[in-house]
Amino acid sequence: MANIDISEREFKQYPKKKKKIKGSSIITFIFLAMIALAVLVPLYVIIVTSFKTLDQITLGRIFDLPTTWTFEGWNKAWSEVCSGMTCNGVKAGFFTSIKILIPSIAISVGLASITGYALALWKIKWAGSFLFVLFICAFVPFQVIMIPLVLITAKLGIYGTFWAVAIVHGVLSMPFLTLIFRNFYKDIPPELINAALMDSGSFWRIFGEIVLPMSGNIIIVVLILVITGVWNDFLIGLTFGGFGAQPMTVILANTVITGTGAVRYNVDMAAALLTALPPLIVYFALGKFFVQGISAGAIKG
Amino acid sequence: MAIRYSWMSPRLALIPAMVITAVAFVGAIGWTIYISFTKSRRFPNYDIYWENFWRQYKRLFNDPNWETSINNLIFMTIGSALAILFGFILAVLVNKEKTGEGVFRTIYLYPLAVSFIVAGIVWRWMFNPVLGIENFLIELGFENASFNWLAHKDTAMWGVIIAIVWHGMGFYLALMLAGLKSINDEIWNAAKLDGISPWKFYTEIVIPMLKFTFLTCAILLSLGVVKTYDIVLAMTGGGPGTSSWTPAYFVVNAYATRGNMGYASSAAFMMLLITFAIFLPLVLLTRWQTKRKEREAV
Repeated sequence: MANIDISEREFKQYPKKKKKIKGSSIITFIFLAMIALAVLVPLYVIIVTSFKTLDQITLGRIFDLPTTWTFEGWNKAWSEVCSGMTCNGVKAGFFTSIKILIPSIAISVGLASITGYALALWKIKWAGSFLFVLFICAFVPFQVIMIPLVLITAKLGIYGTFWAVAIVHGVLSMPFLTLIFRNFYKDIPPELINAALMDSGSFWRIFGEIVLPMSGNIIIVVLILVITGVWNDFLIGLTFGGFGAQPMTVILANTVITGTGAVRYNVDMAAALLTALPPLIVYFALGKFFVQGISAGAIKG
Repeated sequence: MAIRYSWMSPRLALIPAMVITAVAFVGAIGWTIYISFTKSRRFPNYDIYWENFWRQYKRLFNDPNWETSINNLIFMTIGSALAILFGFILAVLVNKEKTGEGVFRTIYLYPLAVSFIVAGIVWRWMFNPVLGIENFLIELGFENASFNWLAHKDTAMWGVIIAIVWHGMGFYLALMLAGLKSINDEIWNAAKLDGISPWKFYTEIVIPMLKFTFLTCAILLSLGVVKTYDIVLAMTGGGPGTSSWTPAYFVVNAYATRGNMGYASSAAFMMLLITFAIFLPLVLLTRWQTKRKEREAV
């Protein structure tokens, strides 16, 4: 693939004069770089503010670098800031978010991959209609089903626990993730499945021995979607976590937005950065798959 | 034996997904619609209010806050369309200027990995009149600079739109880039040989070819806008007053703050209708596209 790309590019550029390309492309490059800097401004602001002392912040120069770099804001944000009546920092939310994330991943990936596999590779007459229903479900706004889900989780006795938040995440992401898996599995050559069927492979054995080993890439894509989605969610955590299972975003919002007392911007920014860090790390480490995930999901979905 | 086994298993495997669809989606939607016609307030009450059947909807349509929410929805949709426009322009440039494509795409797209709550908090901080960008501009010598948008009713939504555009631009860029890459190389080369001006090439050839991508972007954008809640909460808290409410904000407020399930349900049902109104063109277009492809194949 790589070789073909390079040769095509060379071929395309061949008939053009080299000088002309260079001039216009430098301008384009500078323009793109400026936009990139503009996009980075909020990240820059959040980082430098979090390392400043409160004294420097009150001078009002938002774009200046810290005169003295201090971790004070970070320490306070991690272990001291108050959310409601408790003052344990965003740390508590961090561990709640992890507790929510792990079962969410298991539920989402397990459910969606099996459903997608069954719909893509097994002859089920009503598969098409069911996919259509899932397609519609994937776009239903959360607010429309929020209240009944609150009542259901309350009836099951899990409301206000991290289980409720995790299960609701799994349920809500099921239609969309199923469509992603199904789109991926439907391209597996049928000969492969037929051959496996001849070998008296059962539904589960074909899944475990043939389909699952082929799904490495798609599982990474889905993992990225689930991790960033669950970590960045606010409303589901707020609605289903009650007071006992508030994820990091909810703690952050409580501290920064509805917090009382003197505003400490360095602590606020450090808390926000701490909350944003896990998905950002995932994004910068696995960016290529991230792009694949969102464009594959959006275009095919 | 083996065949019967494999007849059963896929159907058994689909049961969880079907139960979820039936209960959490179809059932829950039906429940919400039903509840909007009952006397429910803080707790569900399953008696339909026959004497005044449309009570909640009449209230809703006379509620100035709902009107504000709908107006903001329209305003936000138009404003955030800038994200698609910028996304397209940047995609064209990134695609043309191959150097640094990966780096640029990574930078443009990173806001998407940041939650709306964090994004809202950062942008609110930058909009801070005393310590934020406004002060920076004044120190630069722009004495009349005013960047305290979030504090004023007329400009608060603009502030939210800036944050939404910042957050979403990279996403549309990624979609547009995928669309541009799918255009056949021969078309680029033919256009180059014909000496068509770049402007004509993009407006008359590329954009028409990408109309499906544009439509997908527009629909995804409007669906996202309907759900806008977190970023408004983080940036303005719905304010000043109620001037930056959105339909999603309205529903959560009616349920959690005002404690009225019936009222919240009626507004939620309206959200669903809006979503379907946006959604319908996508479904029809997908159908039409697949049919056309089938016809071409024949």
